Amino acid sequence: MADMRDPVIQVEGLRCSYGDFEAVRGVDFEVAQGELFGLLGTNGAGKTTTMEAVEGLRKATGGRIRVLGVDPLTGRRKIRPRIGIMLQDSGFPADLTVAEMVAFWQATSSRKSDAAAAIEALDLAARRDVRIKQLSGGERRRLDLLLATLGKPELVFLDEPTTGLDPESRRRVWEVVRGLLADGTSVVLTTHYLEEAESLAERIAIMHAGRIAVSGRVSDVLARHPARIGFDLPAGFDVSLLPMLLGDVVCVPSGRVEVRTGELQRDLGELLDWARRDGRALTGLRAGHASLEDVFHAVRADEGVLSR
Amino acid sequence: MILALSRTELTLLLRNKTAAALALGMPLLIGVLLVANRPADWTFTITLQLVMMLGFTVYMTVTTSLVARRQDLYLKRLRTGEASDSTVVVGLLVPAIALGLGQALVLLGMSTIGGAPLPERPLPLALAIVGGAAMCCAVGVATSGITSTPELAQITTAPFFFALMGGAMWTSLSDQVDYRMLLVPGGQFAELVRAAWGGPTDNVGVALAALVAWTAVGFGLATRYFRWEPRS
Repeated sequence: MADMRDPVIQVEGLRCSYGDFEAVRGVDFEVAQGELFGLLGTNGAGKTTTMEAVEGLRKATGGRIRVLGVDPLTGRRKIRPRIGIMLQDSGFPADLTVAEMVAFWQATSSRKSDAAAAIEALDLAARRDVRIKQLSGGERRRLDLLLATLGKPELVFLDEPTTGLDPESRRRVWEVVRGLLADGTSVVLTTHYLEEAESLAERIAIMHAGRIAVSGRVSDVLARHPARIGFDLPAGFDVSLLPMLLGDVVCVPSGRVEVRTGELQRDLGELLDWARRDGRALTGLRAGHASLEDVFHAVRADEGVLSR
Repeated sequence: MILALSRTELTLLLRNKTAAALALGMPLLIGVLLVANRPADWTFTITLQLVMMLGFTVYMTVTTSLVARRQDLYLKRLRTGEASDSTVVVGLLVPAIALGLGQALVLLGMSTIGGAPLPERPLPLALAIVGGAAMCCAVGVATSGITSTPELAQITTAPFFFALMGGAMWTSLSDQVDYRMLLVPGGQFAELVRAAWGGPTDNVGVALAALVAWTAVGFGLATRYFRWEPRS
């Protein structure tokens, strides 16, 4: 375990309700200074509600939140100059141009920033004098990120920053996020894209139905889940003829065999030996450690039984 | 910070042709028509001009633009920035107030050139304009809270807008003013304008109190009903 740097965010027992519906039902997490913390979850898991409460935009019904040491709701004034927020859905005045919007945001911010460089970094230089209503969805999202990161805040919240972006734009966003981390900024990120969390996050929490189902360092979370081996079932072949494996063998109706195992190397060796002995070709063979996607699906399937 | 918010809001108002026509064109057009008619009763004409300014330039503009900014999720974005909630609201109201005051000057100048006498008592006139603008802002913010789309604002603003017009005309056209008239929004405004142009001053205190009361009611409703995000 890495030494715990000073937490920039502390959330304890957070609860949020919309009328009778409790969207967040007791969530705890901490974000250390300089790390990227990924908040993942299914749609409606409560990620955005959690984010908005931590950002000081929503009143919690229970629990305690500290952002940079203060309550984000009552201490909004204090922390706003130090943080940047990219909401999942927030709009722009459609009739302003990109450059006007950036200049306006600079004028309302106490942080010093270089507008031209920021516009360049997010690949919007060619669009600087275009009205926002004429921008594509991806360009708007990049402008959104630009505003949230303008003037290098200490802590940045990114709520699904890459949803709806093409691969090129996503890479561009990742570059910006990595640049923030290199500068020592702490980042809280929610995303639907598991490979995004895998490649950017140091620690993650997966929310399900208003609670955190799984959390920890990405490598630890993945290590707690079985690896997978998959191959196509040879024609006219029965699963019972397979060698003895330590993992569970599942036969998928499409004619594929899936093995979930905690002993990837041993089971894979066993399987390859067996195939070589019998001279069989294992078509479509794949083997690998659990991905976040596996963890995610396990969470969904188990309705949160995997709680720490 | 308020300045940046207001400047942006003014740019947005002027770039939106419908909003600009409503806020600027309408009262000026009606103002010109009224003056062109060679009015016999200047107090009535000026009251009507100014109350149109309050209704269109301040009240309807405030309501419609706040609803539009909320619908665009721009209000939500502003809350992620450094401006406090009250700074944001004030920043967005300033352009409507400034346009309203500017327009009042233009309208009064227009009437003066058209032959209207200058006001004998400028103070009640100034109080009427400033107080009327404050009342219209407060009620406009409140009205935006019960209006879900900018299109619907045409309907939700109707009751107060017509009360404003009706109250002003009722008071302005009555020889004997009673308390009921002064209580209708617009009524007390007309009475203050009349006092400025040599009318009786015995009702000025009640009229001012009514203006303050309406502003307070609007403010109370605004704090209660104003919303930062559209209902999902």
